[in-house]
Amino acid sequence: MTDTTTILAETRARIADAPDVEALRAIEREVVGKDGVVASLLKSIPGLPAEERKGAGQSANELKQAVLAAIEEREASLGSAALEAERRADGFDGTLPPPRVERGTLHPVTQVTRELEDLFTSMGYMVLDGPEVELDDYNFEKLNIPADHPARDTQDTFYCSSPGSSASLLLRTHTSPVQVRAMERLEPPFRAIVPGKVFRQETTDASHEHTFHQMEGLVIDRNVSVGHLIGAMKTLLRGIFKKEIEVRLRPGYFPFVEPGFELDARCPFCTDGCSVCKRTTWIELLPCGLVHPNVLKAGGLDPEEWGGFAFGLGLSRLVMLRYGIDDVRHLLGGDLRFLDQF
Amino acid sequence: MFISMKWLARHVDLTGITPEQLADDLTLSTCEVEGIERFAPHMSDVVVGHVLEREPHPDADKLGVARVDVGGDEPLQIVCGAPNLAPGQRVAVATIGTVLPGDFKIKKSKIRGVESRGMICSVRELDLGDEHDGIWVLPEVGETPLAVGQPVAAALGMEDWVIEVDNKSLTHRPDLWGHRGIARELAAIYERELKPIDLEMPALGGGAPVSVRVEDPACSRYLGLAIDGAVNGVSPDWLRELLLAVGQRPIDLLVDLSNFVMLDLGQPNHAFDRDQLAVDGIVVRKARAGERMTTLDGEERELVESDLLITSGGDPVALAGVMGGEGSKVGDDTGRLLLECATFDATTVRRTSARLAHRTDSSARFEKTLDPTLPEAAAAHFANLLRGLQPGVSFPCALADAGEWSDPARSIHLRGDVVRRDLGVALHDDAIASILSRLGLTPTAAGGGFDVAIPSARALKDLTMERDLVEEVGRIHRYGSVPEAPLVGAIEPPPFDRRRQMVRAVEDRLAGAARFHQVLSYSFTPDDLLERTGCAAGDFVRAKNPVAPDMARVRREVLPSLLGLVESARRERDVVRLFELGKGYRPEEAGEDGMPREVHQLAMVLALPTTAADAPFDAGAFFQLRAAVDDVISAAGVTAPCWSSADTAHPAAHPVKQVAGAWSEELDGCGFVASLEPGVARALGLEGELASDVAVAVLDMDALLAAPPSPPTYRPLPKFPMVKVDVACVAPSEMPAAELGGMIEKAGKGAVRDLQLFDVFRGEALGEGKKSLAYHVVLQSDTKTLTDKDAQKFLGRLERSLEQQGAALRR
Repeated sequence: MTDTTTILAETRARIADAPDVEALRAIEREVVGKDGVVASLLKSIPGLPAEERKGAGQSANELKQAVLAAIEEREASLGSAALEAERRADGFDGTLPPPRVERGTLHPVTQVTRELEDLFTSMGYMVLDGPEVELDDYNFEKLNIPADHPARDTQDTFYCSSPGSSASLLLRTHTSPVQVRAMERLEPPFRAIVPGKVFRQETTDASHEHTFHQMEGLVIDRNVSVGHLIGAMKTLLRGIFKKEIEVRLRPGYFPFVEPGFELDARCPFCTDGCSVCKRTTWIELLPCGLVHPNVLKAGGLDPEEWGGFAFGLGLSRLVMLRYGIDDVRHLLGGDLRFLDQF
Repeated sequence: MFISMKWLARHVDLTGITPEQLADDLTLSTCEVEGIERFAPHMSDVVVGHVLEREPHPDADKLGVARVDVGGDEPLQIVCGAPNLAPGQRVAVATIGTVLPGDFKIKKSKIRGVESRGMICSVRELDLGDEHDGIWVLPEVGETPLAVGQPVAAALGMEDWVIEVDNKSLTHRPDLWGHRGIARELAAIYERELKPIDLEMPALGGGAPVSVRVEDPACSRYLGLAIDGAVNGVSPDWLRELLLAVGQRPIDLLVDLSNFVMLDLGQPNHAFDRDQLAVDGIVVRKARAGERMTTLDGEERELVESDLLITSGGDPVALAGVMGGEGSKVGDDTGRLLLECATFDATTVRRTSARLAHRTDSSARFEKTLDPTLPEAAAAHFANLLRGLQPGVSFPCALADAGEWSDPARSIHLRGDVVRRDLGVALHDDAIASILSRLGLTPTAAGGGFDVAIPSARALKDLTMERDLVEEVGRIHRYGSVPEAPLVGAIEPPPFDRRRQMVRAVEDRLAGAARFHQVLSYSFTPDDLLERTGCAAGDFVRAKNPVAPDMARVRREVLPSLLGLVESARRERDVVRLFELGKGYRPEEAGEDGMPREVHQLAMVLALPTTAADAPFDAGAFFQLRAAVDDVISAAGVTAPCWSSADTAHPAAHPVKQVAGAWSEELDGCGFVASLEPGVARALGLEGELASDVAVAVLDMDALLAAPPSPPTYRPLPKFPMVKVDVACVAPSEMPAAELGGMIEKAGKGAVRDLQLFDVFRGEALGEGKKSLAYHVVLQSDTKTLTDKDAQKFLGRLERSLEQQGAALRR
């Protein structure tokens, strides 16, 4: 029979050389497994002289324990070596560019519109929609702009025809027609904004477009004053520019408001004149005013009881101001290189 | 419009007010000032020179060599060709370094060998008129000769500031189209007196008035003043300078005075040479078809029946309110005048001037609707000014005054409480009355407020109701002094708006997880794009005055707008994902009000490089887009529709590769997903290098809104393990996958938790007209642990049902 010491020495040597855990398991099976060396040693014991049996049993068990201990030790060291290997990373360069993440984008007009919608809905304004192909009546007549009114000179209107319809149709020149539509539909008091597309028959260039976006605002209530209008406009500008903005109201003529104003905001981009404010430190931002009594009447409201204010915000212009866009035609041009920037 | 400060000072004392302050105050109270400029700034650089001597040029017969004292240590030697140059004259000298109009910088020079250190200027060189047949000999001012070396502007009192007012801000204020109107505003703003001017008609002779007959109501008043003994010539300097300051070229005295009266009072007027008019006087009538006339700019113009004419002896002598005629214009030898001051209909004048694309100072004013009492004041103003210059003129006969008009002056009741309520300012009644009075309105206390007399100048369209007076008070009081106030009242959150919520959810999902770019497009779709996408059929709303002839059609649907972008986008990148939420218009479904039906659509386009033939069945654009569409419908909170093969008949949809979605027979379909029609793809330029696998989808947002909602619902986590079974079904090619899926669901008897198609195979091994679809099926029960036996039962049921439908289970 083989000397257990020799077996142990040989086995230890093999364990030390074992390249991986699988090799260890093989050795384990071969030495201490069911049919392994240790088992056959134990099996041979009954055939030994009685005085040797005890010693043989003991050394077989010692062999088993020693081999298992050696395997465990080797397994631990193999494990930590594997970890060590994983911890090495020769030539790793974390500054290599990662793969590009393709993304989608919301149109900048949508983004600014949402911001304003959130601001206004938090103050109890509804968001309304209105038709782009509009009746002359709502775009002009009901807004106190009769057919021969000089204000129609300043609005270059796309007049439309529609097969089978005798109605006087046009593409709305402003979002204001929704003022009367809202009054007809809603119970006062109410507050509403109307973002949307508007149209002007105009030759296009970097600063002129025949199609652009506006946002109308309308508050109908009792005892609404110019002071309320100023307060609401300052809140609006704080919401847009995230800081306190000085404003001034000056007379402006729009037939559907009286008194009508141009609201200038102190230029948010400079303190002493820049190209945005044409070096005046003021930017003309919001036409606004108290709703004209004739418009209230057109909307079915009694001007003695109800009043209100209205304003029109140039969304396209605001988007251009916000991002410094120098050509209005990009907004509806659909160029991916433009859209991808927002 | 240009306003001269010096001119304004004829009407109101502006002492102590800077041009900048005046511009600000006008802007804040009255109208928008676009800019202020010095009048003829070079006149402050050009100095008064005294011509000491003039010698002939040694080398040129027509030139002279002058020595001119400009106040320096020694006189300047200046070469000058003017024939009228003579010693002793005071002249305007541009010294070296001075810049004259036209960016002409004076330099030291040698002219035919003689050094010249400056230029003695003519009127034209100073941009003060057209005279250039000699140098400008400065006029005498007072007793002593002009001090040498001082700026000419200061010496002659020519300093002036020119204020440019934005015409648009005067649209509603015809009274502000003259200096006196602006001066009245300033008098109100600064609380200063509006100086009286003489608008009394001078004594008129007893001769028979010129005959005037008005045959058309577009002329509500025609007033003719006959003047004899005028001597036409060059206007006095003050008049020339005021006209120059506001951008009017001086012509001759009679024309200049006519212009002056218009720019002073806002009433256009026209001086005819009375000797050129027919003896039967003036007839005001509409033009006849085919009639022609030559206007005083020398243009022959063809007239139409809506043009209003001033005629004499049957021939047009003026295009009413727009321009005079060539034949009867005043000339150098005109001595007998007929001064026309009339009131013409705003729309008539506007149409004529717009049709001829010829807007004049006169037509711009008439377009605003002028006060019919103003002609009389204007005629008197002209007469008094001319008489002041030429005491010899006479007015031989009574005024001709024809037409039907009435004085628009009115009274409006104003309540102080309404002013305070609307402005939000505690303004005392006295303060209100003071502001109104300063504006030339006359308030009288009445009935707890005021009856305010509105003079005719402001009564036509401008001040017609109480609210108009609130504005008058507000703007002079200044809106800057209105305290800002918060809106007070119950703030109710606005009613829930499902459409807006859905729109946002759709936008967010598409721009977010689905990685689409949102596009906003024009509502006009070019004809060419409609043709190429096959979408030109059907009725369109059309602009009658489009920006271009091929851009008249207002879109019926959104998809073509996106398709128009694909080619250029594909040049930029391999994968193009675009969507737009927008409106389209359908004339054939017009409402009772005649408005076309508005459809709200979500259009999507996905374009990929063409996929390889052996790519997995769901690698192509069609299935990728279908996945995105299903996902976005789920994001919208709506039950998934059933997709079925259909013929949507959409011209941009592939005739076979398309599905339409619907929830039930009662509800409108939600839209379709399709591969792009191959012919359309080619027409869009998607071939060769740009050959693409393109899918399109259109969803009707109104249908989505009407569809059954599907809010997220909780179901308890499974208590029992699942069993995964893979099944492969061999089916006839034409059997839709949806049908097979249904059979699998049914065979699971409610235990199918998940069903995922992972392979589609066609091949010889299966036989002609067959396909194999392979699914991962997950079975799970809420009440017990499913065993292999349960799975086998499931397969048995599936096999039987497949066989009934002519399909089979591949074991």
